[in-house]
Amino acid sequence: MIWFIMIATGLFTFATRFIMLSNGISNRPPPWLVDALGFVPIAVLTAIIVPAILLDPADQTIALWDNPRLFAAALAIIAALVTRQMITTIGVGLVALWILQWAM
Amino acid sequence: MPKAQNNRTASQNRSAGSEFWAGVCEEVPLIFGVVPFGLVFGVLGIESGLTPWQTILMSSILFGGASQIVFAQLWAAGVPALIVGGSVCVINLRHVLYSASIAAYLRHLPLRWRILLGYLLTDEAYAISIRRLQHEPPGPNQHFHLLGSGMLLWVSWQFATIFGVLVGGTIPDSWSLSFAIPLTFIAVVAPILKTRADLAAVMTAGTIAIIGQPLPWNSWLIIAAICGILAGWLVSRLNHQAGATS
Repeated sequence: MIWFIMIATGLFTFATRFIMLSNGISNRPPPWLVDALGFVPIAVLTAIIVPAILLDPADQTIALWDNPRLFAAALAIIAALVTRQMITTIGVGLVALWILQWAM
Repeated sequence: MPKAQNNRTASQNRSAGSEFWAGVCEEVPLIFGVVPFGLVFGVLGIESGLTPWQTILMSSILFGGASQIVFAQLWAAGVPALIVGGSVCVINLRHVLYSASIAAYLRHLPLRWRILLGYLLTDEAYAISIRRLQHEPPGPNQHFHLLGSGMLLWVSWQFATIFGVLVGGTIPDSWSLSFAIPLTFIAVVAPILKTRADLAAVMTAGTIAIIGQPLPWNSWLIIAAICGILAGWLVSRLNHQAGATS
């Protein structure tokens, strides 16, 4: 089953990359679709980020003040805005989490 | 083409090799973000109960980092196959945009080239090669630039995955390496948030991802994503209309 899903989603993913390179489709997608697709990365990635930061991995409840991930993520967001570098953002976030987990 | 003539028009007519090499070199800085990401995916795949082969081959079959992470996480949570597939497909829809924006430069190529370059059209390769295609003089070998950036990315992604699969068991949980996943995405999202519509998309997707947690089959992810896309799209429409009428 997993192989079937993997290959099916793989073919779909290839289709999303190839579709506009195929000669069958000669026009750009309509502007409203381009607008909507432009929000796909930030919407999807935010939906992954927020639960990974806010929910306690142990019991999936919302954790705020006693949550080192939240503060580490806040520092990582600042690092991302200032440096715009992936490696710095990951480094700042991970080191902050290690220090906070040790201290809290 | 004779070599002398090739040299004379070097600026417009760079050789296939020099285009390829330029693509490789310009892609290098992005590899520093891609390698830890692939490593984390390799570790996560094994932790999620995928076999080493399933984890490693997913990196060639899907070849899309965020979608592979989601695939592994949802699969581990015992989510129905249809929801896993649907979530992966929504995440990867964005490639249609890259395909549309780069099509004008590639459409004249033979089919086998378009298939190969389509397969290699990831976020990172697109980001690097579209700059060359748009801002530097066109040349008959310009598609080799995308081949170079795409191949370097592909090779790095496969090696990082394999390395993650091999070392996964030896990394202690206290390192919280899985936290690198949201961090990677923060590095992608935070710098590109510019408009009110972007903020609407982020607030909506983030809120629904939390309050939707009790929904069956982990469908909160796909629902939060679709609502976020709709919210961003609606706000951008309203802004356009407000701008047009005022």
